[in-house]
Amino acid sequence: MSKPHFDREHHVKKATGIGDPQCFKGEAGPAKFKVGDKVRIKDLPDIFYSRTQVYTRGAPATVAELVYESPAAEDESWDNTDNPVWFYSVVFKQKDLWPDYPDTFANDTVETELPERWLEPL
Amino acid sequence: MAEKHKPAPMVDEVSEFEVLEIAVRELAIEKGLFTAEDHQHWTEYMHTLGPLPAARLVAKAWLDPEYKKLAVKDGVKASLDVGVDWVNSMPTKFGTPSDYCNLRVLEDTPKLKHVVVCTLCSCYPRPILGQSPEWYRTPNYRRRLVRWPRQVLAEFGLQLPEDVEVRVEDSNQKSRFIVLPVRPEGTEGWTEDQLAEIVTRDCLIGVAVPRPGKTVNDPRPVRPAINPYKH
Repeated sequence: MSKPHFDREHHVKKATGIGDPQCFKGEAGPAKFKVGDKVRIKDLPDIFYSRTQVYTRGAPATVAELVYESPAAEDESWDNTDNPVWFYSVVFKQKDLWPDYPDTFANDTVETELPERWLEPL
Repeated sequence: MAEKHKPAPMVDEVSEFEVLEIAVRELAIEKGLFTAEDHQHWTEYMHTLGPLPAARLVAKAWLDPEYKKLAVKDGVKASLDVGVDWVNSMPTKFGTPSDYCNLRVLEDTPKLKHVVVCTLCSCYPRPILGQSPEWYRTPNYRRRLVRWPRQVLAEFGLQLPEDVEVRVEDSNQKSRFIVLPVRPEGTEGWTEDQLAEIVTRDCLIGVAVPRPGKTVNDPRPVRPAINPYKH
């Protein structure tokens, strides 16, 4: 039985001269959400690695921009670049994140980027 | 009277983190992941970086509405005009996990003020802004800015009226951010050079706003500890 070969430089070779995340452009397929859609952040388990902040879990948000396509951090941290997904810039009302945020500043918001798998339609 | 503090101990040896960095680096070189020359090349590149290109980008955007549109739509492309190639300037030619090649320029309006933080670590648009200031990397700034943005901005000397929306940009994935502040009053007829001078690093992070005559970052507020450590 031959030793399985894994190319440890596959990501580098793909991105050199193009840039990351630009090198994943066009690989995620059709986007599930569009600008203005109301979404809720899922509370998925994250045993090993995630870049979805705990404070966003379960909170409602609005899609502000489709930013780029890339593997989600949970995959990429294990060098898995097989399933790029759309990334969305989403905007939260501060009041939805922190219930005791003062009403005087009800307009205040937080914006952050999340991969499609963390979002569900609201 | 409270007991006088002894001077802080002099640190003239490497810290444990520096020892760890050297160990990992030497192992990586031994394993052939990169060479000592690669490491030197990268370190020297990092020391060439600073906030001047981003200040130039903002000044150009203030003067040229078409360029402003480009900057907001495609920050990476707009960076080329100020001498920053996000992909090819870096010795790696593709970015690194700390410096991905996606820049978003956040446009402030009189009713919207952006401020940037990375709550998870310390993501920072280094190719166009240089190394992040020490306070940007502290848990204090990172954890409090999303929760109490107005209080933290007030500590930086920036108090905003109620009708201005404060938008905290949490830089948690592959985009890096700079703020395009509102052009201040009193700068009518200024040249690009004059305008670039008042766009300080703090203005580009969003914790300050540009003011005519103000060309340096304010010193950080340092308050005495409530329960100071006794040496």
